[in-house]
Amino acid sequence: MANHHPAPELLAAFSAGSLQLSHALCISTHLEHCDECRSNLMRLNSMGANLMEELKPAKASENLKSSVLSMLDDEVTEATPVINRDSRVPRALQQFIPDDYDSLQWHRVSPSIQAARLCTDSNGSKVEMLRIKPGGQVPSHTHTGDEYTMLLEGSFSDESGVYKEGDFVVRDGRHKHKPMVTEDRECICLTVTDAPIEFTGFFTRWLNPILRRDHFAH
Amino acid sequence: MSTVSSKAGVSNAERNARLKQLMAKVAEDRDKLAFEQLFDHFAPLLRSYSLAREPGAALLADELAQEVMIKVWNKAHTYKPDMAAVSTWIFTLARNSRIDYLRRNGRFSTEIDPTEIFNNMEDEGPDPFQLAQQQRVESKIHEGLKQLPIEQAQVLAKVYLEGKSHQETSDELGLPLGTVKSRVRLALQKLELLLKR
Repeated sequence: MANHHPAPELLAAFSAGSLQLSHALCISTHLEHCDECRSNLMRLNSMGANLMEELKPAKASENLKSSVLSMLDDEVTEATPVINRDSRVPRALQQFIPDDYDSLQWHRVSPSIQAARLCTDSNGSKVEMLRIKPGGQVPSHTHTGDEYTMLLEGSFSDESGVYKEGDFVVRDGRHKHKPMVTEDRECICLTVTDAPIEFTGFFTRWLNPILRRDHFAH
Repeated sequence: MSTVSSKAGVSNAERNARLKQLMAKVAEDRDKLAFEQLFDHFAPLLRSYSLAREPGAALLADELAQEVMIKVWNKAHTYKPDMAAVSTWIFTLARNSRIDYLRRNGRFSTEIDPTEIFNNMEDEGPDPFQLAQQQRVESKIHEGLKQLPIEQAQVLAKVYLEGKSHQETSDELGLPLGTVKSRVRLALQKLELLLKR
């Protein structure tokens, strides 16, 4: 069971459909893991419905009505996406990872970290998978924007606590952190980064120009 | 023909029950008269929802209302009456239509397909205990919303009806981003909406 959840206002923005799709994607993978947040989402959706019902109705014309009624007998052709319910890949991610994590094009970021880019959002946010070896450490870094992380497999810890499978973590410019993966198994995460992260360690600061170039290259 | 719209004396619960009956007729009997009543109730609300984001865009409002009402007809069999009110289901259809529109419009990424992001939760509900609570919560929300302080209601309307992000809400209302987030949070607390952790 997950211990770290999206903040209430974030789940509300998801329910309202007002989040960038990359952020919604990340929250959706958490919802697949978390019964409690799914319940809360249903409540938020019903709040949305109540807000809609309190609007002053804007009369629909007879034309609109007859046009809708005339379409009821049309044949429906809708492509339903093929979803593999037995896959360990969350359903919302299967559009990018149809088979398995192994079949992604991983590139090496450091001896213990591999990354695979999934897509870039319309606001420039970068959506990628990270795969970190058991005991692997991500160099100390801060963020220039928000970073959303969803832990899909394994666990890691940083200055603020221990994170396990199903946990959802947001980090922003105020946090400086140095996550460390536990020794027992590798860790697989989905991350959405609004702006390139900045490494703060003396020995890793040289990585910054490279990362910036990498972030904007796509 | 009787209507389902909010006549004086008709309680919220009675109206919800009536809407569920209509949905059942549409799903099981493909009853077009029942569908017409759903149309009469929801199409004006769907148009208002669209106009909240794009004031004056009457054609767009018609388009959204049409798209959603056709989905109501075609997907009636997927509505689960014990999980949510009809209006809740229709709200999620309207939200999804708006997201599709924003993708066509370049506002949202076309690289990310929202279908499974927003659909997958609706297949798999919470356990029966939580469902029973959901019913109680739904009736409380209706009353609670009327008693929200105006500044909280205003932020909820921006986010839910106009579909604005927290940042856009903050820009448009001239409030710090943190204030926007805390007003949403306070409103949810006041409504006692979320499960206690």
